[in-house]
Amino acid sequence: MKQQSRIHLLTVSLVVSALCAIAVLASSPVALAQQQSGLSISAGLAQTGEPRFFAIKDARIVPVSGPVIEKGTVVVANGIITAVGTDVTIPPEAAVVDGTGLTVYPGLIDAGATVGLTAEENAGPAGGRGRGPRSATPAKIYNGPQDRPQTTPWVVAADELNPNDPRIQNWRNAGFTTALVEPEGGIFPGQGSVVDLGDERAGNMVVSLRATLGIDFQLSGNFASFPSSLMGAVSYVRQVFIDTRWYQNAEDVYNAHQSGIERPPYDRTEVVVGNALKNNELVLLPAGDKLAIYRAIRLAKEWQIRAAMYGAQEGYSLSNEIAASKLPVFVNVNWPKMEKGADEDALTLRELRLWDRAPSTPAALSKAGVTYAFYSGGLSNPKDILKNVKKAIDAGLSADDALKAMTVNPAQMLGVADRLGSIEQGKIANLVVTDGDLFGEKTKIKDVFVDGMRYEVHEEAPPGPPGGKSMPMQQNNEGVQQ
Amino acid sequence: MNATRTNAKMNALRALAILAVFALLPLAARAQDDSGITLIKNATIITITHGRIEHGSLLIRDGKIADVGTDVQAPAGAKVIDASGMFVMPGIIDCHTHIAVDGDVNEGSISVSSMANIKDVLNPYDVDIYHELAGGVVIGNVLHGSANPIGGQTIVIKLKYGAPPEELPFPDAIPGIKFALGENVKHSNFGGPVPRYPDTRMGVEETIRNAFTRAKQYQKDWADYNQRKAAGEQNLIPPRRDLQLEPLVEVLEGKRYIHCHSYVSDEILMLIRVAHDMGFKVRTFQHVLEGYKVADEMVEAGAGGSTFSDWWAYKMEAYEAIPYNAAVMTRRGVIVSVNSDDADEARHLNQEAAKSMHYGDLTENEALRLVTLNPAIQLGIDNHVGSIETGKDADLVIYNHDPLSVYAVVQKTIIDGKVYFDRNEDLANRAALAKEKQDLIEKEKNEGKPAPKAEEKENGEKKPAKKPSRKPKKSNATPQDAPQLAATEIGGAR
Amino acid sequence: MKTFSVSSANLNSTKFNLKLCVLLLSAFAFALPAAAQTSVSGVYVIKGAKIFTLAGAPIDNGIVVIRDGKIAAVGANVDVPSDAQVIDGSGLSVYPGMFDPVTQLGLEEVGAVKATVDTEETGEFNPDVTAATAFNADSAHVDVTRAAGITEVLTVPGSLGGFGGGSSTIGGNASAVNLGGWNINDMVIERHAAMELTWPSISTGSFDLTTFTFRQLPFEEAKQQYQKKVDALSDLFDKARHYAQAMQSGATDFPHDLKLEALSRVVEGKEPLLVVAFSARDIRNAVEFCEKQKVRMILGGASEAWKTIDLLKKDNIPVIIGPVLSMPQSEDDAYDSEYAMPGQLYAAGIKIAFGSFNTSMSRRLPQMAGTSVGYGLPQEEALKAVTVNAAQMLGINDIGTIEPGKVANVVVTNGDLLELRTQVKYLFIKGQLTSLDNKQLDLYNRFRARPKAATP
Repeated sequence: MKQQSRIHLLTVSLVVSALCAIAVLASSPVALAQQQSGLSISAGLAQTGEPRFFAIKDARIVPVSGPVIEKGTVVVANGIITAVGTDVTIPPEAAVVDGTGLTVYPGLIDAGATVGLTAEENAGPAGGRGRGPRSATPAKIYNGPQDRPQTTPWVVAADELNPNDPRIQNWRNAGFTTALVEPEGGIFPGQGSVVDLGDERAGNMVVSLRATLGIDFQLSGNFASFPSSLMGAVSYVRQVFIDTRWYQNAEDVYNAHQSGIERPPYDRTEVVVGNALKNNELVLLPAGDKLAIYRAIRLAKEWQIRAAMYGAQEGYSLSNEIAASKLPVFVNVNWPKMEKGADEDALTLRELRLWDRAPSTPAALSKAGVTYAFYSGGLSNPKDILKNVKKAIDAGLSADDALKAMTVNPAQMLGVADRLGSIEQGKIANLVVTDGDLFGEKTKIKDVFVDGMRYEVHEEAPPGPPGGKSMPMQQNNEGVQQ
Repeated sequence: MNATRTNAKMNALRALAILAVFALLPLAARAQDDSGITLIKNATIITITHGRIEHGSLLIRDGKIADVGTDVQAPAGAKVIDASGMFVMPGIIDCHTHIAVDGDVNEGSISVSSMANIKDVLNPYDVDIYHELAGGVVIGNVLHGSANPIGGQTIVIKLKYGAPPEELPFPDAIPGIKFALGENVKHSNFGGPVPRYPDTRMGVEETIRNAFTRAKQYQKDWADYNQRKAAGEQNLIPPRRDLQLEPLVEVLEGKRYIHCHSYVSDEILMLIRVAHDMGFKVRTFQHVLEGYKVADEMVEAGAGGSTFSDWWAYKMEAYEAIPYNAAVMTRRGVIVSVNSDDADEARHLNQEAAKSMHYGDLTENEALRLVTLNPAIQLGIDNHVGSIETGKDADLVIYNHDPLSVYAVVQKTIIDGKVYFDRNEDLANRAALAKEKQDLIEKEKNEGKPAPKAEEKENGEKKPAKKPSRKPKKSNATPQDAPQLAATEIGGAR
Repeated sequence: MKTFSVSSANLNSTKFNLKLCVLLLSAFAFALPAAAQTSVSGVYVIKGAKIFTLAGAPIDNGIVVIRDGKIAAVGANVDVPSDAQVIDGSGLSVYPGMFDPVTQLGLEEVGAVKATVDTEETGEFNPDVTAATAFNADSAHVDVTRAAGITEVLTVPGSLGGFGGGSSTIGGNASAVNLGGWNINDMVIERHAAMELTWPSISTGSFDLTTFTFRQLPFEEAKQQYQKKVDALSDLFDKARHYAQAMQSGATDFPHDLKLEALSRVVEGKEPLLVVAFSARDIRNAVEFCEKQKVRMILGGASEAWKTIDLLKKDNIPVIIGPVLSMPQSEDDAYDSEYAMPGQLYAAGIKIAFGSFNTSMSRRLPQMAGTSVGYGLPQEEALKAVTVNAAQMLGINDIGTIEPGKVANVVVTNGDLLELRTQVKYLFIKGQLTSLDNKQLDLYNRFRARPKAATP
């Protein structure tokens, strides 16, 4: 062949290759997505199954981070929100959900639950925060703080996740796409992880591995074992922080000059808590009643830790003090009430007032300017979460603030605000689609998107075992006195 | 002529001025109602240090006693309490109490639990506080229980019912620590899952000696470290801070008072001996029911005695208790107070004090000192409270009869010039509180009716574990503004 | 204690007789325990005192004559027998001795020492046991208590509503006892004065001392347990009634049952039933039970009786009040509900008395009564409530007032009996002047006389 033929051949090959390339690329959704959004290739969090391209069209959208869009479209792809707005181009690979008459909210966040932790991981029959297997009837007698009673801060919720926990689906069907999942039981039960409630592999669910360090002033339950009193438990945690900081300092000194100095002993708690403090994990302090709220404020300051309080159902009576402390608050929406079959003669005005006023706490906190989030607190039926939030709205909370307490607020408090909590381009595609106002009594949830995967909600699945973090233990054992 | 007109004019002006003043007075009074000035008028004032003043009056300003005497005048705008026929005395100071504590008063698991601190668990909403205010108590020495030879750190509080926890501690009062000797710490009268050292009084002594030996070593370790650091030495790892030993070091340094629960003479002498050997002081022996046997030794050791009036024979170590205890110790020079150790008892400490006139020969003033100035001295707060003198805190109680009489009923209890208990207001508020309770019960019952939620379980931990005493008392449900708070609120709005 | 009856006539006879008498006297004096009599004639006169007979107005400047164990005469103008030992009562007051109708004095020496505790027998129902059997006449509590002016007690076996630490329902026969005498035979007034019954309570919590843990029971379950106890009690009373009927009918061919026999006295109305109950609910249930069983009920404890006044009034149930100085049962109750209750019950026409419900607190009876006066109980009724009222409730009609013919249990004080600083100067039990020496007084005297150590 002459030079002309060679060029011709080259051109043809090039054209053919290009055509082939285009053909290949054209059939690849990834490429299309690339072409559409210019984003990098997804990490492939979803496995096989439905491709994660969706658009919810002509829906009412409540981004939370901005004004409500009466009629707009949300586009998600491979787990990320790629577009939100009134003038959005829907890519051809996206399955379109007709949003007429529907409302799209950011996926709700339950800021304290044991969902995803199986019964073995969980504490106690009620699944409530409290007497875990470690503390129910202690075989071991602890003889002081050096024995590190009920202390397992190294347990990370994400490491214990069971994606087959049926509660995950229940929570999701109730509109919750995300939860702060926390280990339970003991004084230092472990570290909480922010987890998306999909049902893939456990690792796929983790959004933030070590978000919080939990503390509960849990008693041994046995007067012969330390700590048997609330003040003993408080002094123990105080000592742990002292020991941790001692260790951090000692370790630095020792590592710099190992010769000539006796090495500081290894204590797993000191190492783990030290790392948690270094990583700025949010320390959770119990606030189960008014005294505990005051105590949390006091101790957070004394211990110089970045902390939040959890429980806070009596917050209505000292919302200004809470605001002044600047501590964020996890509010337990499992409002207390009279037990069925309770001894009516034994009711006190004190507790009756609490039952009456607790649902007004969120409104009071809003008014005082406190940042707070809701958590399910031991409620076994997740549908009751919204019902209980509704009670708070009836008691004066604005619907807007109620929604914030389940979206942007927990996202911010848990350090994932750049990725969760609102419907904005670039954020994780966690959405809940309803046929009406989220807090409406007759409203049904139609679809839930978790990490961009669509879960259609049908008839409610029977609720599984209870799966929430309940109120921290009330310290009220009066013992032998003289 | 001119002078008369001038005089008339002056008179007229003067009259106008006076009229104006009178006209404005009510306004002035209203404006100054918040001035914090109160006059208690025309009572028998029992000063404790300067005898009794008949038909006396007492002026309170900014929470302090501003003036006392027979012709004290109220400035304009002062609130006036007409106390004619009544008796005013310093508020009662209870040197041994376990009220106002959230949770167990004992960290009884280990024999030295000095790391525990009552200050972490103060409960201003404990209804016992209100009951004690109704009994004339204004200040309490809130103690750890008696389960251990060395117990937790203790604190003196003013019974400011309903105030935030931070406002309870008596400002600048020296903190304390509770020691205990005898049957309770030996677990003599009950079993337990494991036997615990100490099991005898011998072991109790060794437990205390051992703790102080370690405390001294700790003191030394830190002194050494600080010295080396000050000398510029590098790469030093400090000793660990030990919350158990630090309060004991404070005892050695005289910065923390020991209040020691004790009964029989030999153990009282033991602690005096150990204190002498180890270089610390015992501030008070509590209960000290055999103090009458070793009063001289207590005086020599500089220890006060805080005792019961007439309890005895419930334990072996109380078998030789006598109601003359306070009188005997007093006569021999011990600073003696009478305490309650019990919320029921604390409501009539004035009566318990009077018993030392029956069992013993204390005079009226000596008897009243047992619950006023003497406990103030023991707690190191007698500069501020314990007697009625200008400059001291306005912590007072008003009775309708002589406080040493069994017929006396507390009318008002005042702390820092604020009325925290008022019998008339308490009586007036009862109907409203009862109605509120009934209404809330109805509401709660009706809420439960429509849809019983089968799956929703109340968290078991939230329910209080009721103390199984023979007199089931208050529920320890979420401590909260208690009903009688209304009286406080009304009293405070002045 | 021993009674002297050597007449003065003998002492005035021959030298020989005198020597003999002195010898005898000294012998007896040596042999006497500390609690000795000092009268030689058995006749006493208290002169010039203010006398509170509790059977009429007080007598300002009066005379009481005591002879042969009884009140012989009392009044403003009374003949003074020549053989009497005269006590100058100027400045002093005379009262009937006090009666503590609910105590376990004598059944327990030191509460924590089990060997000294005979308050409660094992088992749920013990109607046949009798307190007088276990009463320790030499208990240190006897002398200590009477020195405070208490001359009689009803010592009560059983749980007393949990005070005893136990949980039995029928504790046994309470015995009325004078606090003076050589031994129980000498001291007993009535062996079977009342039958103790602690009304079962609905109990939701318990503390296990062996494992140091709390145990919680749901209310519904506790209620069921309670109902079982009440049913068992009811059955027992039915059986007792049948037993009584069989005994009355003259039938002999059935086995003796000591428990049912004892309970027969109660169902036949011969012995009152002292029911210990504190809460309003327990009181109501107990009253309903006693109505149904047609027994003579005395309510003991009664903390919340102020909530059940109409019921008690309707059935004319007398009340022995225990916890006057204690906190109210509920935190929502008025702070003075216990202080004011005695006055309220009295105003409603209910007969009241005060009981210590303790082994060592009888001397607080006047304090309880006096405190109640401060909150509305009339003074005279308060005095009756620590003396004659309880005796009347128990059908013991010869003590509690100073009237001719009554047993001379009398206390002479230097002031108002109810006042805290008042001291007892003289004490008579069954007409015998009784020593006020006691363990506590001994220790007091000994140690106040201790010489001060030389200062180093």
